Amino acid sequence: MNAVLFLLPIAVFLGAVFLVLFVVAARSGQFDDLDDPPERILKD
Amino acid sequence: MAAALIRGAGLERYYQEREVLAPRSRYLEAGWNTVPTETDSSGIAETRLMVDGLRCASCVWVTEHVLQSTPGVAEATISYATGRCILRWDPEQVDLAELAGRIATLGYRPRLLGEETTVDRDLLLRLGVAAFAAVNIMMMSAALYLGWWSSMDPRFVVLFQWTSLILATPVALWCAAPFFSGAVSGLRNGVLHMDLPIALGVAVLYGQGIVATINREHAYVDSLAMLVALLLAGRMLESRGRRRAAEAAVSLAASVPATARRSTGEGVETVPADQLRPGDLIDVGTGEEVAADGVVVTGSGRVRMAHITGEAEPVEIHPDQEIVAGSVLLDGAMTIRVSAVGGDTVLHQMAEQLRMAADRGSRPTSADRIAPWFTAGTLVVAAVTFVAWALHTGLGAAVPRAVAVLVVACPCALALSRPLAAAAGLGASARRGLLFRSADALLDLVDVNIVALDKTGTVTQGALTVLEAEDEALRVAAGLERYSNHPIAAAIVDEAGNRGIPLPRGSHITEEPGVGISGVVDGRSWRLRPGGPGQVLLLDDAGRERIIALGDVVRSDSARTIAALRQGGLQVALLTGDHQDIADRIGQETGVRTVVARIDPVGKALWIRARRERGHRVLFAGDGINDGPGLAEADVGVAMGSGAASSVLIADGVISSGSLAPIPVALHAAHECRRAIRLNQARSIGYNILAVGAAAAGYVNPLVAAVLMPLSSAMVMWGASRVEVNVRELSL
Repeated sequence: MNAVLFLLPIAVFLGAVFLVLFVVAARSGQFDDLDDPPERILKD
Repeated sequence: MAAALIRGAGLERYYQEREVLAPRSRYLEAGWNTVPTETDSSGIAETRLMVDGLRCASCVWVTEHVLQSTPGVAEATISYATGRCILRWDPEQVDLAELAGRIATLGYRPRLLGEETTVDRDLLLRLGVAAFAAVNIMMMSAALYLGWWSSMDPRFVVLFQWTSLILATPVALWCAAPFFSGAVSGLRNGVLHMDLPIALGVAVLYGQGIVATINREHAYVDSLAMLVALLLAGRMLESRGRRRAAEAAVSLAASVPATARRSTGEGVETVPADQLRPGDLIDVGTGEEVAADGVVVTGSGRVRMAHITGEAEPVEIHPDQEIVAGSVLLDGAMTIRVSAVGGDTVLHQMAEQLRMAADRGSRPTSADRIAPWFTAGTLVVAAVTFVAWALHTGLGAAVPRAVAVLVVACPCALALSRPLAAAAGLGASARRGLLFRSADALLDLVDVNIVALDKTGTVTQGALTVLEAEDEALRVAAGLERYSNHPIAAAIVDEAGNRGIPLPRGSHITEEPGVGISGVVDGRSWRLRPGGPGQVLLLDDAGRERIIALGDVVRSDSARTIAALRQGGLQVALLTGDHQDIADRIGQETGVRTVVARIDPVGKALWIRARRERGHRVLFAGDGINDGPGLAEADVGVAMGSGAASSVLIADGVISSGSLAPIPVALHAAHECRRAIRLNQARSIGYNILAVGAAAAGYVNPLVAAVLMPLSSAMVMWGASRVEVNVRELSL
């Protein structure tokens, strides 16, 4: 059970890493428009 | 008690700082006072802004109210659907930075037109953080609930509880901030805002979490994180849906090409349209769109101006005549002297004016009438619980029970019922071809009992189609016309394709604008030239004539759609500026009994107003610029996406497919949507009565709360998901 004592911070830390990646992606506008970019190649 | 909890949670600093951080100076530094404004003769300045972060009709009301009560402000109107704000003020008394600061103090974000929006991004970030915290806290809560039944090492209980509390802190303080600002701005202006019970719930849950974690009791921080994440998700859905509908409408409107060919002294260069200056000469060839307003210098041709006039019929343009940006040159070639570009073009100014009209025309409805009663009710029950238990058994039992009441009376389900069902209804309608600007517009459909339809381009296709022609004549004509991009050519070639006639290959083809087309098909020479109205003549080398009749035809599914509307108990009317006999023929063909012919645009609006004054609710569908007044006057205005830009901009909804069929489907969606909202509200109120009753009686323990709270949200989500299912069944 003592494993939990260090696994828990690791788990939260890993989660936080992905949260930071998400924040960076959202800030750079990755999620601003989810529909148009895939179709853009079909236009002109 | 809530105030005490807010103080306990250290939130009072947040409010103090927020006051300091949003002053006039920030907007002064950002150069807001140098924004160009229009000043009229009496010295009143006018400008338009965007206001981000408006969440409901009462946000709009509060903001308008605060601005209007500011000395020096003559007018402040905000559109909920678009977030656009029209401000008129006396520059002697107050400046724009001051007004922007006032809006910001209320918790909304003023933004200059054209500045990029980040409101979705902000919501998304808050949602992401809340979801991250909620998922991690849930994992630990599951362990705690299991440990609650068996026995868990107290060390782990403490570890899990403190980790949960730490994770919940950014959720309560940052993710939930929009709810707090909404609640506070509401309170400050004497309105019980929908955000108030939510903010109260979050504050109580977080305060209880801190106290319980310190005392090693059960904390409800898992519910807190879940509540905030779900509410933010609901808000996100609503705001995306609203923005998408607005964008779709604008993108359906006619566009101006990005480049133009400018004649210089020696030759021709291709330049971006925004680099054109008045006085420049630009070349326009067959099939091209005109990039700027101007006067034709040389050349002539047929021009389609459907985006301005809504009339599909092309017009002949000669030297010295004016031409507007966005027009399409169907044949011929011309050189144009530019007179206006960009924001000065007729197209742009018309779009601006109509946008303004649309902004003024929006009417906020009270979306959250229940919220104040809900909040007041919860507070009363909590107080009664506290007093009753305090008298009965003492303070020790009274505090946790009163807190339990506030905790389980989670407004989550209630707050989610409308945005979720509205998003589902808007989505169901949009997938079937009718996009609405706002949920209010969709819900207005429920009360509609008269459907008024424009004729040209709405009930009919608004484009030329072959009405009558022999197969052989059609085959030869199509062989000549297949190389042309004239609208008559398109009609003939389409019809030949529809009849399955293989197109012969014409040769020696010469096309003269306005005169006709000639060439050789199957070894014989033919000529095709205009006949009487609605006719073209095909002449062979022996001079024999064959007639091809063309005209505007009724859309293939108009009759079925109108029958469906009438079956639904709606009165259907046809309003047209056309002749009585043509209108009657179309009316008979489509089964419309009420036919009003020879009516001008204002007449259409007056007809609609007369019906509305008698208590009817009118839906008007139209496509041309001449339908603008009708679309604005009707309770629900629906524009055809293929129609004039002006009608698309002014309407509440836009049909993206070339058919009226989405209208009855959208009516179903509206009924389903309202039903789902009412059912959801009833369900969440039912849940709250049960849960609050149990909590007041002292029966709510952590496990019961953990099961009940997500269950109530799931119930509301299920209710909203039924909208799509029911609409699908009905439209089959």
